[in-house]
Amino acid sequence: MKNQWIEFYRGLVTVKASGKGIERFINALTRSEINIWNVKNHGTQSVTFKMKLEDVKKIRSHARNSDCRIEFLQRAGAPFLMKRLLKNSGFAAGALAFFAVILLLSNMVWGIEIKGANPATEYQIIKELDKMGVKKGKLQFFVDNVESIQRKLSNNIEAITWVGVELKGTTYHLQVVEKNEPKKPEYLSPRHLVAKKKAVIVDMFVEEGRPVVDIHDHVQPGQLLVSGIIGKEGQTETVPSKGEIFGETWYKSEVILPLKSTFKVFSGNEKVKHALTIGNLEIPIWGFGSLEFEEYELEEKEQRVKFLKWELPISYVNKTFREREQVTRIYSNKEGFEAAKDLARKKIKSSLDENAKVMGEKVLHQSIDNGKVTIAIHFQIIENIAEGQPIIQGDSE
Amino acid sequence: MAKKWGQFVRGWMTKNMELPQDVMMDLPRITMIGQIHIYIENHRGLLAFSDKELRLLLKQGQLLIRGKAFVIKTILPEEILLEGKIDSVTYISDTD
Repeated sequence: MKNQWIEFYRGLVTVKASGKGIERFINALTRSEINIWNVKNHGTQSVTFKMKLEDVKKIRSHARNSDCRIEFLQRAGAPFLMKRLLKNSGFAAGALAFFAVILLLSNMVWGIEIKGANPATEYQIIKELDKMGVKKGKLQFFVDNVESIQRKLSNNIEAITWVGVELKGTTYHLQVVEKNEPKKPEYLSPRHLVAKKKAVIVDMFVEEGRPVVDIHDHVQPGQLLVSGIIGKEGQTETVPSKGEIFGETWYKSEVILPLKSTFKVFSGNEKVKHALTIGNLEIPIWGFGSLEFEEYELEEKEQRVKFLKWELPISYVNKTFREREQVTRIYSNKEGFEAAKDLARKKIKSSLDENAKVMGEKVLHQSIDNGKVTIAIHFQIIENIAEGQPIIQGDSE
Repeated sequence: MAKKWGQFVRGWMTKNMELPQDVMMDLPRITMIGQIHIYIENHRGLLAFSDKELRLLLKQGQLLIRGKAFVIKTILPEEILLEGKIDSVTYISDTD
């Protein structure tokens, strides 16, 4: 007997032959090398047998030459199965489409919930999120990750101090803490104004209170500038004194700057690679080819693919390679001094109030040794030196 | 005369050279497994087939197999495998 399985793959049919001269018909078939098997007799002058599907065409001419009528009863085997599968492929396609849709919907942004913000801020946040591409119906793969949303929101919206972004399933939960704009502190309690630091007074602007110093006066820290006690002797009244006293103060700033320094900068060239990882296997989707960068920084963003509430072991990975270059900066002596001065100025500015002014600067000493510039600069600054000091009741003058 | 002579030579050769008879003399080789299987090689075609009877043409004469529930498991130009319950195997000679 032939291997039944191979016959099955090729396909086989059951044939019923009836009429006179069945034996002759079978002989004719065997002589023309058509394989038949399982020949069974059914009553008088009718037999059934099985044969290969590929021989079906040949059998017809033999049937015509004999007195037999043939009938095909049963079709079995892979070709017929395939045909049926194709006919019912709608079911399989539907099931596949169903899973695909669920997979797609599971990875979409379905809601954004903002808590703790007033309507105005909420609107602002929603607008900002929109700009970032975080909105309903977006795929999570193409949306920034939670940390960067959080960072961008707190950077771009001034009205919030802190925002906590959490992704729960398909919904972003934003917990907002709004900045309570501090009101101008109103010193209802009576106070004096005293000097914060050693200075020479340049300008005075007193709203309330009795100034006790004058322009060009040299004051020491803690010295009374504006008294909160007004009125004549005996009929005194304490008031919260208010005003701004500008004094010239002095700062000394020392800067050490190496003439030669190396640092790393991004060249601006970058390459993005997209991939799909299943377990430890990484399948690149886009961004092929090897990296030409000698030195680079890698930023990796991984997004797990979710299915309903489960996370699949499949994730979408977005890798950004940024080329890094090493730059060596060498200052000449003159440039070194300029840069050091600049640095000193910046340093002093950052430590001062916004309304302070740099009036003048004087280089105290500058030197170069061991490839380093050392510079000391004396700055003249005009700033508000007034500081409140409460008048404690019961204190006698 | 010539045919008889040929047969004589073949008969002699098989006898004296120990060659298998079925090859030399175009005789059927029949293998039976109990009553359930019969395997016949070197037949010359089907003459009659029903579930109780199978008649095969041989080079000389016919072979008649009787029994019950016959099914031809395989049929090739010179071979046939029959399954069923075999009661008798009879040779029918032309010359009779």
